[in-house]
Amino acid sequence: MTSTGFMHRLIPDLGLSEQRPMDARTLHSLAVLLLLVQLPHLMHLPLWVSLTGGMLVSARLFLLRAPAQRALKILLSPIAVTALAALSAFLIKADYGYFVGRDPAVAFLFILVAAKFAEVRRASDATLLLCLAAFLLLTQYFYSQAIIATVVTVPAVVALAYTLSILRDPHNPSRNSEQLRLVGSLLLQGIPLAALLFVVFPRLPGPLWSLPEDAMATTGLSDSMSPGSIGQLSQSDAVAFRVEFDGAIPPRNQRYWRGPVLTEFDGRRWTTSPASHTTQPVYQGDANDLTHYTVTLQPHRQRWLFALESAASLPRSYDAAETTRNPDIALSRSPSRVLGKLMNDGQMIATDTVSQVLRYRQSSVPGSAIRVSRPPHDKTLFLPGRNQRTLQFARKIRASVDSDSEFTQRILQHFNRESFFYTLNPQLLGHTPVDEFLFNTRAGFCEHYASAFVVMMRAVGIPSRVVTGYQGGEMNNDYMIVRQSDAHAWAESFIDGVWKRFDPTAAVAPSRVEHGLASALPNDSAVPGLARSQANWLRSAQLRWDALNHRWQTLVVDFDNDSQDKLWDKLGLGTPALWQITAIVIAIASIWCAAILGIPVWSRSKLSHDERLWQRLIHLLETHDLSRGLSETPTEYLQRAAQRWPAQAIAFSNLGRNFDRLRFQASTADDTEQLRIAVKQSITSLSWTLKRRAIALRFKPRRSAVALTNGRHDYPTARDV
Amino acid sequence: MKLKFRRWRQRLFRNRPEDTLPHRITHQRTYIVPSKRGCAFLFALLLMLVASVNYALSLGYALSFLLTGLFAATLLRTYQNLAGLHILQCDAEDTFAGQAATFNVQLTNKKTQTRHGIRISSKDASSALNRVEAESSTLAKLELPTHTRGIKKLGRLTIQSDWPLGLWTCWSYLHTPLDALVFPQPEDQAPPLPTRIEHTEGEHRQTATQGDVSGLREYIPGDTIGSIAWKSAARGLGLQVRSYEQETGQSQAVLSLQHTGKIQLEEQLSRLCAWVLQAESTHTDYSLNLSSEQFDRNHGHEQQQRVLRALALYGLPP
Repeated sequence: MTSTGFMHRLIPDLGLSEQRPMDARTLHSLAVLLLLVQLPHLMHLPLWVSLTGGMLVSARLFLLRAPAQRALKILLSPIAVTALAALSAFLIKADYGYFVGRDPAVAFLFILVAAKFAEVRRASDATLLLCLAAFLLLTQYFYSQAIIATVVTVPAVVALAYTLSILRDPHNPSRNSEQLRLVGSLLLQGIPLAALLFVVFPRLPGPLWSLPEDAMATTGLSDSMSPGSIGQLSQSDAVAFRVEFDGAIPPRNQRYWRGPVLTEFDGRRWTTSPASHTTQPVYQGDANDLTHYTVTLQPHRQRWLFALESAASLPRSYDAAETTRNPDIALSRSPSRVLGKLMNDGQMIATDTVSQVLRYRQSSVPGSAIRVSRPPHDKTLFLPGRNQRTLQFARKIRASVDSDSEFTQRILQHFNRESFFYTLNPQLLGHTPVDEFLFNTRAGFCEHYASAFVVMMRAVGIPSRVVTGYQGGEMNNDYMIVRQSDAHAWAESFIDGVWKRFDPTAAVAPSRVEHGLASALPNDSAVPGLARSQANWLRSAQLRWDALNHRWQTLVVDFDNDSQDKLWDKLGLGTPALWQITAIVIAIASIWCAAILGIPVWSRSKLSHDERLWQRLIHLLETHDLSRGLSETPTEYLQRAAQRWPAQAIAFSNLGRNFDRLRFQASTADDTEQLRIAVKQSITSLSWTLKRRAIALRFKPRRSAVALTNGRHDYPTARDV
Repeated sequence: MKLKFRRWRQRLFRNRPEDTLPHRITHQRTYIVPSKRGCAFLFALLLMLVASVNYALSLGYALSFLLTGLFAATLLRTYQNLAGLHILQCDAEDTFAGQAATFNVQLTNKKTQTRHGIRISSKDASSALNRVEAESSTLAKLELPTHTRGIKKLGRLTIQSDWPLGLWTCWSYLHTPLDALVFPQPEDQAPPLPTRIEHTEGEHRQTATQGDVSGLREYIPGDTIGSIAWKSAARGLGLQVRSYEQETGQSQAVLSLQHTGKIQLEEQLSRLCAWVLQAESTHTDYSLNLSSEQFDRNHGHEQQQRVLRALALYGLPP
């Protein structure tokens, strides 16, 4: 016996063959599902992938309309579609540069699902397609878990369930609206269970596997800076990170968020120095000067962490907040994890690439200079042979002043007094960009000023470096948003044994530092909308939207083990054991089951009052083994009952008459009410009488137990009699 | 031990026809397992969950759990759709071999919700009901093919449904001792009924000519429209048929296995069956002599049923 035969003996076959051909209704609902699943992926996929996927789906739909299209038929034949999928695999490899990785896999899955749909022939294929579509729906969260992504998922999930219901029986004549209502109610009923699972399901730490090539396009600041790179970044409204301060918020001109430190210079490009070693943050000053805050960093797929200058602690995982507020909890829990290290150039580096939203605690002393134990190395003095005019200019000024600090003041004054312009759209600079900027164009963005300043410092032997990061940030209710448009570059020089911050941009355009980017630029510049400070309704709406997103991020997307622990704490359970959690889940799930199974019990009958009375009578007689025949009129039925129980014959005929009057004779309301009462009473008394009889019969010697069974032991049948 | 095993088998699979009607499908007798599609769906859910764990996707967890919730809600709905369904009665229509034996199963839905997509199947026939409306009854017809005469057992019925999403299969067994009689297949182009006319003394003969009405009798389905006495019907006496004195005395057929001119038992029975039907259609008296049973000369519905039954069961073990 084959295994399927054995299975069929245990589990009945449903008769609908999985091998049945595809019908139009299933195909249409599948197509809607696929388009809804594809939609959120269009944001991140290469254009050609999106187009191929969309075209395959529409081609299949078109073939359904015009089945005689020969060319289309050949194009959508299994062989052609397989070849197309293989070809696209090669193209994806060429496009992404690698194949075994998350992003190319998603792109390939995207095409694969569309290709499978293009050649789908049987109902079993549809099942596979459904599962693939469900998985593809999940992969969109690799790229965004914002509210929008969630909203986009909802119609796709409805379409998924709807397709399942269509696939069950495509020839079911039920209307679409009825099916949708059914599917909607099923999903609504599933939500409580889903919420329960979401809250209690243990979040396993760390990835189970990671694909080696999962390096992705980076966003935000990078490890190099050339003229124009930060200006380009400033055109984006995207959120870099959000900050919640524990106490007072430092003033705007103190809010320098330190990022990559660029030390190496080739005359045009600034890059980070690879050979730096770690150090510990040291702060021996007054604890009141410390600013504590929590940063929610958007994934930028690099390793920088941002902190206010200058950092007084290492970044720690979020539950450190509990530790500082409540020392008792700190003892019972594992200490907060350290998420990164501090390099000797003051740069904070995360332990891992930041590929997910990262929340960390940080403390800083705003405005303090960075003290170091040993003098800076030579790299901070290195200059390539280019930009000779600048070097001569700097040395000339140095010769005219007494000290290094006086020299820096002169330089900043130079920027301030001469006609330098702060602009997002500077002219392109050639081979000697610093010379060209300082003496010809005199118009530039922060990186131009920082770069020129550092070059002049180094020219006179003052160790200097460029620091990139963000400057400013805007409060939104109780937290601060720092956007890419706040990206900034400034300079740091080693004077009198400490690294001091100099912001030449502030000398040129003080309002950049005081009020933000938009106020420092002419009105017609291409400043992103949210960097402008004018209050208008669009701006306030967008800020509210950002607040909502932030709440979503902290409540839902960042929900993890810590959040679970906090929830148990709030419920007064401490840290519950596994069996306690299981008990809670089982209890709530049982309540959920009971509630859903109880719904039909509560729902009211749609029958009329009289009809319900009649049903009651039938039910009563059925319990006494007298069911109504398939084509028996009510009168015949009651006559048969009278024959069965001759002692009650009068009661039955009275009942029959009363029911007839209730059904067919329209009379006054009072009359009807009286009739009903009479019918009710006689049914009740009948029920008692029959019950008594049945009990009496049970104690009598058995006469004909066989006669009560409906089986066909004797011929002719009961029907023939 | 063996008895225990049998009892368990009966409880699980209902091998023996021990159920009585009316029957209500209770939770103790319903089975529910994920269908093939349901298993595939579960596997996809598992993969989604693993991906969510690996990439720490909170919304991935949420989506996986939402679909899990859908899966679980579907379980309850599927069960609800079947549980509490009443099978009030079930009857069988007798038939001739080669034709389908029809079993009518009356399903009653006493709930206030419509039940959907219920399928009733026995070993070799099935019937699908798209809807059983709330608080009403529906008849499911099961047409079992027959090949040989005798008793056709309905056998074990499987009442099942995978409504609403086809992710779960829920079913219940019902095994009632219901069966239908299958008469022998009447022979095609059988020779005419071997009749013998018995002349009774003292009765005069009448020729069987149209118009020689000897009297009126009750209408029997099958009489020709032309022979109905419409005049008496118009007087309100009900449908009556003019009977013609065809031949004086009663013609009668004496049937027995030996006088069929066939050797094979089945062929003999088949011819006898055809002759019985012929005799009934011409209202000819017939008697049948089977080795096991004798039937005196008579005709009419009752005689026909008894004779056909004897033919159907002849020579079969009881």
